[in-house]
Amino acid sequence: MVSLLTKVLSAEYVKLWEYPIDKIYKDMKSEEQNVILDSITEGVFTVDLEWRITSFNRAAEEITGILRQQAIGQQCKNILRANVCETACALRSTIETGTPIINKPVHIIDIAGRQKAISISTALLRDEEGKVIGGVETFRDVSLIEELRKEIDHNYTYEDIISRNHRMQNLFDIMPNIAESSATVLIVGESGTGKELFAKAIHNLGPRSNKPFIAVNSAALPDTLLESELFGYKAGAFTDARKDKPGRFALAEGGTIFLDEIGDITSALQARLLRVLQERTYEPLGSVSSVKADVRVIAATNKDLGKLVTEGNFRQDLYYRINVVKLELPPLRDKKEDIPLLTDHIISRFNLLHNKNIGGVTEEVLSILLMYDFPGNVRELENIIEHCFVLCQGEIIEACHLPSNLHAQPAIGYSAGSKTAALRETEKVLITQALQRNNGNRAATARDLGVHKSTLFRKIKSLGIKA
Amino acid sequence: MKIAISIWNGVVSNVFDFADQLLVVDVEDKVEVGRSEFELGQQVIQQRSSLLTKLNVDVLICGGISQSLASMLVASNIEVIPFVTGPVDEVLNAYFSNHLAEPQFLQPGSQVGARKRFCRQRQRRCRHKHRGSRSRNEIT
Repeated sequence: MVSLLTKVLSAEYVKLWEYPIDKIYKDMKSEEQNVILDSITEGVFTVDLEWRITSFNRAAEEITGILRQQAIGQQCKNILRANVCETACALRSTIETGTPIINKPVHIIDIAGRQKAISISTALLRDEEGKVIGGVETFRDVSLIEELRKEIDHNYTYEDIISRNHRMQNLFDIMPNIAESSATVLIVGESGTGKELFAKAIHNLGPRSNKPFIAVNSAALPDTLLESELFGYKAGAFTDARKDKPGRFALAEGGTIFLDEIGDITSALQARLLRVLQERTYEPLGSVSSVKADVRVIAATNKDLGKLVTEGNFRQDLYYRINVVKLELPPLRDKKEDIPLLTDHIISRFNLLHNKNIGGVTEEVLSILLMYDFPGNVRELENIIEHCFVLCQGEIIEACHLPSNLHAQPAIGYSAGSKTAALRETEKVLITQALQRNNGNRAATARDLGVHKSTLFRKIKSLGIKA
Repeated sequence: MKIAISIWNGVVSNVFDFADQLLVVDVEDKVEVGRSEFELGQQVIQQRSSLLTKLNVDVLICGGISQSLASMLVASNIEVIPFVTGPVDEVLNAYFSNHLAEPQFLQPGSQVGARKRFCRQRQRRCRHKHRGSRSRNEIT
């Protein structure tokens, strides 16, 4: 028995399917099976031929948030809640074909509503006569690995953009159509509004998603270096150019190139870029022949390109070439209704990264955040929450955890005993700001806030807003 | 009033975030007056939230749902009733007769309290914006 236990416990979870688990069942009592299964850090459950769960280990409880006694006897799809359960069930495939599945990446939603990335493996369960009696699924939580990978690669996806703002909702609506086309896109928005996230979303939702997405920060490189970086060079093009080097356009072939800070490039480079956009060809430095470019271009800027054109600092013809489809991302101060949502989202992400269990922020903190203008937009909100994570040792972020520059920020009419008053003040501030944004136009303000005109009028009256 | 239910093979789909089909039922005085189905396919959560808002849905009945998506829906004044399981028509009848809290309509592992808490938690975060504007009929 000891040797059997050692053998199972020392087995890599990915190899578990190879172990004759039915033999374990045969040889041991059920309590011993549970000890073994519970000692494994990977989730394990077994199902009968009607997809009802017959065993469920401790790690499976932790990953799904569902207790063993609640899981036993239930349909596995209602317990695992994975994106493949209804469309491409791994266990069904294994039971039907007899072929085990190893390390298939899927996503689940646990009982608390957290999306988790897991990796699943499946195998058949047979009885003593070799007859198939069900299946076994092992899985491990790889959310932390996925989150760390995102953090390192800055590889956040469309799903990380959450908003209830009506302007953002409009953008979400048109994104699939934009992604399907091959038109050049110009994304305009202040620093920290998520321009690169939108660019990636356009790439990932479109037909080029399985090809590269290459991002270039045009402001980060000097002009001469940027030119060779974008178009590459041939051996001998200049001193030290010993061999050919492909440029970013070549690396993005078939995919998408994202040119950030396009408003910062010099006129010489603007001319070269114009040629790529017009003729879909470019010449690497030192090359005598042109190279065809099958690359979708997405450009972004935090500058007013129209104004730069008027001032003579940006080519008008290039402006029209890149301004085919324009997406304007609102700054965070214009969509303050998103602050509670974003705060929640960022806290969930940091809980995973920092291995903490912070439940949220106090109403005072929320009031302070709602009053703040966020010149650095969502990125600044992230930094503020990260600052709080470092200081907060409890489960709720309080005002004392905020950075010092926010301490001076008044919370809107907040006092511990007057939460209702604080909420009314918050509403007042949000409506007043929206009215200012829309030059006092109430219909436009109602649209901006996503409420009916009559609701807005009633609020203006009841809150005593002078509009 | 419009009630949306994420469906799969005639039952409530296990997770709204991943559901393939959406049933939208038009209701007047607790009586169904029409229904239509929508393909959700590979839509991401932003598109799902946006679709429900565009369809003027008042209530979403679903299985599991991610916090992010639930927050977006609640913030858009859509009432979310999560952790529901069972055949679609039985679930609808239970909703009309206020019997959705019965155990056969609860996903395993969830309790009525958890269902309420889940939505209340999402609501609390956004109520500064919506107090006094809970009636979906106003938002057209």
